[in-house]
Amino acid sequence: MFQTNDLQLVLFLLFSILSIASAIFITRQRNVFYASIGLAFLGIAIAILIALLSPSAYAFYSAFHLLLYVGSAVVFLSISLVVFRGLEVKEVQIPWAGVAAVTVGALVYIGLFVTFSSISPASAESIVFSLVKFANIFLQQYWFPTVILIVALLTTMIEALSLARGEKT
Amino acid sequence: MILGDLGLTVASILLAIGAYGLVNSKNIIRILLSSEIIVNASILMVFSASSLLNKVYLPIFFSIFAIGMALIEVVVAFAAIFLYYRSKGSLEVE
Repeated sequence: MFQTNDLQLVLFLLFSILSIASAIFITRQRNVFYASIGLAFLGIAIAILIALLSPSAYAFYSAFHLLLYVGSAVVFLSISLVVFRGLEVKEVQIPWAGVAAVTVGALVYIGLFVTFSSISPASAESIVFSLVKFANIFLQQYWFPTVILIVALLTTMIEALSLARGEKT
Repeated sequence: MILGDLGLTVASILLAIGAYGLVNSKNIIRILLSSEIIVNASILMVFSASSLLNKVYLPIFFSIFAIGMALIEVVVAFAAIFLYYRSKGSLEVE
């Protein structure tokens, strides 16, 4: 398993608290614009948590998460929500919502705990991330999902252009 | 406690908060934001599980495609929300 030091653990706990606080803020905030700003903080906290899991292996993805998710998805959402600025969310009080949420979380956690307690860790793999190896695997083994993703992104761009021009669908 | 286990715990808590927001709101944007919390929780869960199994490249590929799809989902969902608001004048779901 990856080695952990005390500073890593303290930072991990700190950003865990930040991510949970941001998630609670998003679900409790009545103004949707401020809630989307909370999503940016959640994205940043998650990117840092991923990097802290193994800095030498996952730092590349962490940067990717910051650039693509926080930098484009959340910023797009926040800027778009300016249209609805001042719009307040009406709360509905569903008595079983809290129980359902805790049950879902607990079931997932128990499922993960049961799965990982029965699996012995694999033999130690090199944890140094190599961009050359990454690119080779990406282009040789995952070319089809990449093509699908590119087509989907192009379709989204056409849809966004269509929406910006005000065309009726 | 190692970081992988702690990551799985945090991801489960985030999943529960996202599920609560999903169920407890009638506003479409709040539902979209809650689903984004669940997306983030699932990505953290994949990386935590992979760190326990010493996997380096697999979670990165998985998450790159997941993030790409999440980006597309946000744009498409927002376009749908915008059209819904234009036609109904409200963002409340029935």
